[in-house]
Amino acid sequence: MNLDQLRELLELLDEREIAEFELEEENLKLRVRKAAHAPVPQVAFVAPSAAPAPPTLAPTAPPVPGAPAAAAAPVAEAGLEVIKSPIVGTFYRAPDPNSPSFVNVGDRIKPGQVLCIVEAMKLMNEIESETSGEIVKIHKENGEPVQFGETLFSIRP
Amino acid sequence: MFNKILIANRGEIALRVIWACKELGIKTVAVYSEADRHSLHVRFADQAVCIGPPRSLESYLNIPAIISAAEVTGADAIHPGYGFLSESGYLAEICEACKIKFIGPGPQAIRMMGDKSRAKKAMQRAGVPVIPGSPGVVEDEEKAERLAQDIGFPVILKASAGGGGRGMRIVRDTEAVKNAFKAAQTEAQNAFGVPDVYIEKYVEGPRHIEIQVMADAKGSIVHLGERECSIQRRHQKLIEEAPSPVMTEKLRRRMGRTAVEAAAAVQYVNAGTVEFLLDAQGNYYFMEMNTRIQVEHGVTELVTGRDLVKEQILVAAGEALSFAQKDITWSGHAIECRINAEDPITFTPSPGSIRYFNVPGGPGVRVDTAAHEGAEISPYYDSMIAKLMVHGRDRKEAIARMKRCLDVMVVEGIKTTIPIHKRILDEPDFQAGRLSTKFMERFQPAKRTS
Repeated sequence: MNLDQLRELLELLDEREIAEFELEEENLKLRVRKAAHAPVPQVAFVAPSAAPAPPTLAPTAPPVPGAPAAAAAPVAEAGLEVIKSPIVGTFYRAPDPNSPSFVNVGDRIKPGQVLCIVEAMKLMNEIESETSGEIVKIHKENGEPVQFGETLFSIRP
Repeated sequence: MFNKILIANRGEIALRVIWACKELGIKTVAVYSEADRHSLHVRFADQAVCIGPPRSLESYLNIPAIISAAEVTGADAIHPGYGFLSESGYLAEICEACKIKFIGPGPQAIRMMGDKSRAKKAMQRAGVPVIPGSPGVVEDEEKAERLAQDIGFPVILKASAGGGGRGMRIVRDTEAVKNAFKAAQTEAQNAFGVPDVYIEKYVEGPRHIEIQVMADAKGSIVHLGERECSIQRRHQKLIEEAPSPVMTEKLRRRMGRTAVEAAAAVQYVNAGTVEFLLDAQGNYYFMEMNTRIQVEHGVTELVTGRDLVKEQILVAAGEALSFAQKDITWSGHAIECRINAEDPITFTPSPGSIRYFNVPGGPGVRVDTAAHEGAEISPYYDSMIAKLMVHGRDRKEAIARMKRCLDVMVVEGIKTTIPIHKRILDEPDFQAGRLSTKFMERFQPAKRTS
């Protein structure tokens, strides 16, 4: 297995959301385990000593850096869960301008609890928590535009 | 003039629109799926919004996400490119409702021409020559059989809502009609959600000649001449050129006038292409109208010296066409090869990472591409990675120039169709201009009898 194949395999496992994976071939034993909150799977790559090292390709040229206009993705800290926006729209902290915010930093939340609204095409979409825990950080300001997949909340379970 | 245009597309056409906007001083918004995070169109737009995961249905075909992106960025117009939502009457309608200008024709024209049998009827009413066929959708297999006999074999069954070669069946004798009809209906239902099938005369080995038109909202419609697109494999174009090797000034005037009449019949606005089949006797028949800017528009730009995408934007902003029919002249000869990330023999897609990329340059060369070294060609989207275009003083020079470019265009890390283009250009029939939609059959393995 070369570097390109390994990368493809990791992408596939990530895509399919496989938590653990083991592969044993004639010259290779590979174990991949995805930590619960880390975005990147951890890899234990065990090559038996007797086998000749498989030919590895030189790493490919680094990709073109991302657009400066695209929001920089906040790194998920260890132990925290993140809630990301499932749609494009405008982020609101409260049901309307005159009401208090749904949640604040430090609040304990439950699954199903409404955390915010993302407005898209005049429709107010309530974003619910899928987890319980304490809100550690709110990443967007009231009225800010959000993209698909943008991090909104960090929660400590 | 627009302040900001959102481009509802990706890849090379998204870049193409960005180039036109930059030259016009218009700000741009790119939308992208997670798979395109590092794409050039994201990099070069003034703003970029991630609209969904890689799957097209959830991103580039996701109307709510696109409209929402336009709203949060304050875009006042959307350019749909080609493919994706470019011929979605629904998107055009929603744009109207949200007071965002859709850069293209109105929803009625899109829908009329998108329904092949309605389009044909509208053309007949307008006096545009059409291929003899059923008046509309064929109700059942008995009718199909009778119609086929009236028209005369061979005939072709076509899905009304179709395109791209799917939902089509060629029938050469009476016995085969009923079964072919039922099969075509099933295929149409599965591919397009609608089982409507119509029937028409099958013109053997015709040339595919299309006419570029451009119309403004004040009623002016101009044609910019033809493109010959006969080199197709399974109804997907591989090579296009302008002018057509068999075109005469007289025929171009006639076909151009017909194309303008076709556009006028549906009150067409903005860029469009009227496709015709030209038979060996010089008769031409309306096939369909594409209500968008097309992949091969660059070939027309090269021989006319006009910028069609800029014109689209100006027209959409309410301006009059910047040229009249008498201003359009043609110079030299242009050829385009569509470079796809596919195996050059089997044509199976070849996604992957481009390790080495060399784009040809020099006189008379234009390459429209979003690919580059290090680019990831993902499996989620269309396999075209570059449009290699050349312009020469005549067809002979254009062919020599294209061969030279194909020799030095290097793409490593994925397979491409460059080798098949080289073979096509080496064919004596190609060099002599003896083209037809049957041309590519010579590269196929021995055919099954249909």
